[in-house]
Amino acid sequence: MSEPSEGHTFKAYDGALSDLRLRAHSMGVLVADQVKTAVRALLESDREAAELVLVREQQINAYQTEIEAEIFSLLARQAPVASDLRMVLAISRAVTDLERAGDEAKKIARFALVSAARMAGGPSRVMHKPLRNMAELASESMRVAVDALDRGDARVAHDVARLDREIDQEFEAALRQLMTVAMERTRLLRSIFDTVFALKSLERIGDHAKNVAEHVVFLVSGADVRHATAPERAVPAKGSQH
Amino acid sequence: MQTITPTPTPTPTHAHDGRLTTPRPTVDVSRSSAKAEEALVVKSRAEGLSFYYGQVKALKNLNIEMREKRVTALIGPSGCGKTTFLRCFNRMHDLTPGTRYEGRIILFPDSIDLVARDVDPIEVRMRIGMVFQKPNPFPKSIVENVAYGLRVRGMRSNARIGEEVERALRRAALWEEVKDRLENSGLSLSGGQQQRLCIARALATNPEILLFDEPTSALDPIATARIEELIAELRDQVTVIIVTHNMQQAARVSDYTAFMYLGELIEFDNTSKLFTNPSQKATEDYITGRYG
Repeated sequence: MSEPSEGHTFKAYDGALSDLRLRAHSMGVLVADQVKTAVRALLESDREAAELVLVREQQINAYQTEIEAEIFSLLARQAPVASDLRMVLAISRAVTDLERAGDEAKKIARFALVSAARMAGGPSRVMHKPLRNMAELASESMRVAVDALDRGDARVAHDVARLDREIDQEFEAALRQLMTVAMERTRLLRSIFDTVFALKSLERIGDHAKNVAEHVVFLVSGADVRHATAPERAVPAKGSQH
Repeated sequence: MQTITPTPTPTPTHAHDGRLTTPRPTVDVSRSSAKAEEALVVKSRAEGLSFYYGQVKALKNLNIEMREKRVTALIGPSGCGKTTFLRCFNRMHDLTPGTRYEGRIILFPDSIDLVARDVDPIEVRMRIGMVFQKPNPFPKSIVENVAYGLRVRGMRSNARIGEEVERALRRAALWEEVKDRLENSGLSLSGGQQQRLCIARALATNPEILLFDEPTSALDPIATARIEELIAELRDQVTVIIVTHNMQQAARVSDYTAFMYLGELIEFDNTSKLFTNPSQKATEDYITGRYG
């Protein structure tokens, strides 16, 4: 595909598209931070941090509503085509993934509040490391994906896919470890269940980050790789667009 | 880029009457991003076509194929040569002094070179109709507007002419609106109806190609939608080439789009492809409004 020149003749259109990208990026950065904050709240039984995640979740929802209204208006008024159309569609799809990733962070924050209220001390100590690792990976992959969306850089799609695989491996390893713990210490079952749900949420966040990266590939190359095999994915990725 | 891919053909040789011995090609869809539809047939092909207004080279070595019973849109900024190119198809430049063609426009199936000197422009215009920017009905009755081309062709039977007029008016989606006032002046109709009358007039001689030069630029949105709907209906019957400044119109009505710039063909592709993922930067800049 071709890379467009900077700037539309109609500057207001430029402004609207730029605003859209900016908002999507802000929303993504916030989601990435929500992931880290929620896991910290869970591991440190930090009620304040958990409350902060719940409050900021409203902000994420507001971003989604605003961005989608903006897209609706852009489609009706500017009838974007080519790279502009792909960008608008990519952002529209990405926003859905970001909102769902935000929901997963909210679930983790709720576990944190519940376990803090139970004074049960949150997840078993042995689970802290995998939770921390997965939170790092999920947050990082989300940040990389939204940066790529902002820059129109499809090259990092491969990095996000690699991070997602690492998250999946970490998830599988943590589950095996938890099963062993569950068999040995049945009184910890409640805590183990909470931990599994938190781990599952982090794994889902990794999936959403991968989806965002796939939307970036669509933005840059026009190729829909959401259901593509690995060799098919390798073809369309191209360099920075903006 | 799905480049303009003239199907390789043997070098054509001119016969005395402008006919070429070139066999009629089919489009090699395997080399096109246009998905393999039913077998596409080329109706006309420009080969190395250049056109001069005096010393000014307005068209530069165009190579493009027009597929039969498909709508091809020509887009590009003012002065890019799209209307000049359109007018070549029915020899509209012949009366302008100092103009000159190079190359060929071959009309299939009989492989006539439309711009050959020894090809009669009147006969060309019988086979290739044209509809202009502003509706231009003759100052005659509705029925005579449509009958005109038939009479020029030598049709004498009034009954036969009446049948053909009704058929053309029906094809132009105008019959129901005018059937009770066929003797009224064509100029008494609304702008949109006048344009459809012009389309009926062009259709009456059963042209193989219909050229539209910005056919809706003088019409309101409803009249525009009717003309677009009509073009969509005509697609099954005739090959259409349309010049339009309205890119959304090109996106709506055409199967293929050609983007021209400074007399050159920059990109030709399936319309969906060109408007979602063009191959050329110049096309991208133009259709997204970054041009200039």
